[in-house]
Amino acid sequence: MAIRANPKLIEELEPYGAEDVMKCYHCGNCSAVCPFSADPYVFPRKPMRYLQMGLEEKLQDQLDPWLCYYCGECSDQCPRDAEPGETMMSLRRWLTARYDWTGISRLFYRSWRWELGAILLVAVLTAIAFTLFGLSQGSLASYDGPNAFLPSSSIHIFDWALAMVLLAFLLSNAARMWWFTMGRDKTLPTSVGSYVRSLWMLPAHFLTQARYGQCERKGPWLTHLALMLSYLTMLVLIMFFLADMAGGPGIDWRVHVFGYLATAGLVISTILFLRNRARKSAPQYRHSHESDWIFLVLILVVALTGILQHILHRSGLDVAANVTYVVHLSLVVPMLALEVPFSKWSHLAYRPLGIYLAKVRATALARSREGDEAAQRGAEPAAPLRAA
Amino acid sequence: MARAALAVTEELMRIGVYFCRVGVETSGGANLESVGHYTANLPQVESVRSLGLLPRIDPEAIADEIVADELDRIVIAGDSPGFFKPAFTRAMSLAGREPDEVRLASFREHGVSGDGATERAKAIAACAVYGVPFTLAAQPHDAKWTSATLVIGGGISGIQAALEIADGGKKVYLVERTGTIGGHMAMFDKTFPTLDCAACILTPKMVAVGQHPMIEMLTYSEVESISGLPGSFRVTVLRHARRVDEDACVACNICSDVCPVRVPSEFDAGIAERKAIYIPFPQAVPNAYLVDEASCTYVQTNGKKCGVCAKKCPKECIDLDARGDVQQLDVGSVIVATGYDVLDASRLERYGYGVQPNVLTALEFERLTNASGPTGGRIVTKSLRHNKRKKIDEWVFDAEGESPRSVAIIHCVGSRDTNYNAYCSRVCCMYSLKFAHLVREKLPDAACYEFYIDMRAFGKGYEAFFERIREEGTFIVRGRTASVTDHDGQMVVKGEDMLSDHVVEFPVDMVLLAVGLVPADRSDELARMLGIPRDEYGWFTEADYNGDPTGTERGGVYVAGVCQGPKDIPDTVAQASAVAARALEGAMTGRGLQSLASLSLSDIEARAKSLVPAP
Repeated sequence: MAIRANPKLIEELEPYGAEDVMKCYHCGNCSAVCPFSADPYVFPRKPMRYLQMGLEEKLQDQLDPWLCYYCGECSDQCPRDAEPGETMMSLRRWLTARYDWTGISRLFYRSWRWELGAILLVAVLTAIAFTLFGLSQGSLASYDGPNAFLPSSSIHIFDWALAMVLLAFLLSNAARMWWFTMGRDKTLPTSVGSYVRSLWMLPAHFLTQARYGQCERKGPWLTHLALMLSYLTMLVLIMFFLADMAGGPGIDWRVHVFGYLATAGLVISTILFLRNRARKSAPQYRHSHESDWIFLVLILVVALTGILQHILHRSGLDVAANVTYVVHLSLVVPMLALEVPFSKWSHLAYRPLGIYLAKVRATALARSREGDEAAQRGAEPAAPLRAA
Repeated sequence: MARAALAVTEELMRIGVYFCRVGVETSGGANLESVGHYTANLPQVESVRSLGLLPRIDPEAIADEIVADELDRIVIAGDSPGFFKPAFTRAMSLAGREPDEVRLASFREHGVSGDGATERAKAIAACAVYGVPFTLAAQPHDAKWTSATLVIGGGISGIQAALEIADGGKKVYLVERTGTIGGHMAMFDKTFPTLDCAACILTPKMVAVGQHPMIEMLTYSEVESISGLPGSFRVTVLRHARRVDEDACVACNICSDVCPVRVPSEFDAGIAERKAIYIPFPQAVPNAYLVDEASCTYVQTNGKKCGVCAKKCPKECIDLDARGDVQQLDVGSVIVATGYDVLDASRLERYGYGVQPNVLTALEFERLTNASGPTGGRIVTKSLRHNKRKKIDEWVFDAEGESPRSVAIIHCVGSRDTNYNAYCSRVCCMYSLKFAHLVREKLPDAACYEFYIDMRAFGKGYEAFFERIREEGTFIVRGRTASVTDHDGQMVVKGEDMLSDHVVEFPVDMVLLAVGLVPADRSDELARMLGIPRDEYGWFTEADYNGDPTGTERGGVYVAGVCQGPKDIPDTVAQASAVAARALEGAMTGRGLQSLASLSLSDIEARAKSLVPAP
């Protein structure tokens, strides 16, 4: 079957951050230095080739970008300054836009003005809605108790409703990802068994990001892990212990400890990332897409307004605490509603899913190759004595 | 068409100038803004536009501009502007103008660089505006010429040039930095693609140089300064103290036998040792010993210790107290043939050179596989030996050592790489194939892997040579190697084999690095002394890439061989012969052309104006 090439593909990738793809002359150095490049996922050279050739469909089927953690070794050693690491990063953005059926993701990645505008719009709408809601049933002077401005029981219901909507978007996009990379390929002998047997990888990689830890430099992995775990802790606290957090002076100490840890983690890790990106301290921080900045700043201001709200509430300044709460919510809602399904945050789902599907796919490929592997080896000009 | 051309020259022409850039570096440091203002003030120039870096030229938009400005001629100015010519030709034709009236102002090609870059760029632009070829308008003045020629560098290039000029009956001074002529070629085992014995081609030429009545060899000497004008240069040559009488020495080797000092041999690329008093190799010309003052105990202690060689010399031709000398030469032409050095492979840490004992550079392997080398041509891996003098264990080549079972050859080491040398060193692909042949010939049971990016088999018979090596059973892997590592005493070479779509790891016993070529040490000093420009990588710049590849900016100074840019032996010899003809031109006629730099902008402009065809 002939593959249709899209000669404009590289130009289409430019807004996503891929700039130097055409410089690549295919020496294969990047694929060989990459700690994650191994059969059957040999990258980043091959995706670079697909890009140069404009093989859009083939690229859309790739799981390889999700296996790359951008340690920057490839870009460092690239003899052509073709920035293979940045190409993989921009492919992840492009794939995110491809998986998203609404087209919002594509809009955001291609134009920061749209992304920022949407965030501001949602923020303003949220602020208006919560202010009206608060005034309609409570008093601005009361933070908790029966006459609370924003009672935790109502916010709790709102949180879960929002979570369900987000989950619906994320799951439908993840299903599209599965369809592109696995489902569509009828020749792939996958079995339900192999899906089940590898299922443990999803939570394991989600929680530990163990593969990232295999990069030579551990710093980025630790910062990334801290950010993710802090975020997760905060999410659990908000989704399950919101009442405990809002409740008067007598907050459960366990909620306190976890809350403070998570807040510190969020603030420190986002500041570290922002500093690294500003200083361009390593290959993976040399190029920053607008969506990277928006994402980091958004998390930071969400954390900071949360801290402020907490301090004001503990100081007994209920009016100020309520106003800050509205500001905080008007930042939290766009962060969740826009960043999680449509922008950078979505990789929290795609990354572990990609690793998991890659494993299932590799198992299936190994099985289909078993039969004719010997014959194929004989035909190769340079039979690898030891394949990595 | 002829009528159309006539029609436009009859009335006053309207000319549009477009500046285009192909590189971030602007035209050898020329101030393009100043060139633009100058161009705008030339008569008949209607418009000057800058299209910036690598513009995507839309012929239709240009055609609209041509019609709006009523342009009859377009000048494209910049480095390699021919790159953009098709788009402008199309635009002219779309606009209904004469498509041939697109002229190029090629800055880089006509040597825009260095101090006079801006003035030169203006002159080139002016010539293009007037429609006169730059080389025609920029004709330097004539001068009287001394018939003797100085050749700097005694490698194959300098030898060939010297021989041809001397055979033409004119005097040649051949200055060589080391103790013998021969250069790198003397170190080689075989040549590609013919697999001829390199020494069998070179040594007769070396002997001919040594015996030629018209050639005066000044070995172990360096050009210290050069003054004067083309045709009458005054050259000061520093003659280092050889400390052995060149004419009296019969190369009996007694001095070397008794010398207690051992240092790495330059000729053997450091894989064997020589004494402090030594002959670089047995076929050296002049066939005489010399003292390396940096390692000689007598010289280093100011005569307090040793001196045993002088006592034992049966010819009494060693004078350890000799001092260097200075010699003045009067020459008309200077030929620069200073060759190259190889890249320092230890800069590429990932290949383990200097860490893994059996990672060798190309020159080291040339010596290892050479029958006159330390192992008599046996390809062996290094063995661990105890050095009693230094009391350490060290890895050395031993003729009785073990043969490697597998050898990896890595191409493009430091070449075509923006982190090291961006250029292609041009010889590595073919010498690597030659190595593969030598390995397979001498060790038929050993596996040999070639890791390459692109196989540049561009010359006569090269592709057939590549095919031959393939048929001999070398595994050719397309993909550059990322690393050479040690896995429990076994070297492992890792790379992507992109034709089979795998990342592969081969266990090997020996790795050969096809290191790239870099300009010879202290080329910068020589360039300053001679007043010739060098390109961004340090190679000497020729006067005109296509039309005058042996000349330089400076009249009477010519370049030959690798010092002008990487090239193989056949090309080097061809260029050396060409340069000999250039030098003979001045030597035979007694007249020649001065430097281009002797012409001012107004000289060139006036001459260009006078050459404009009359309407």
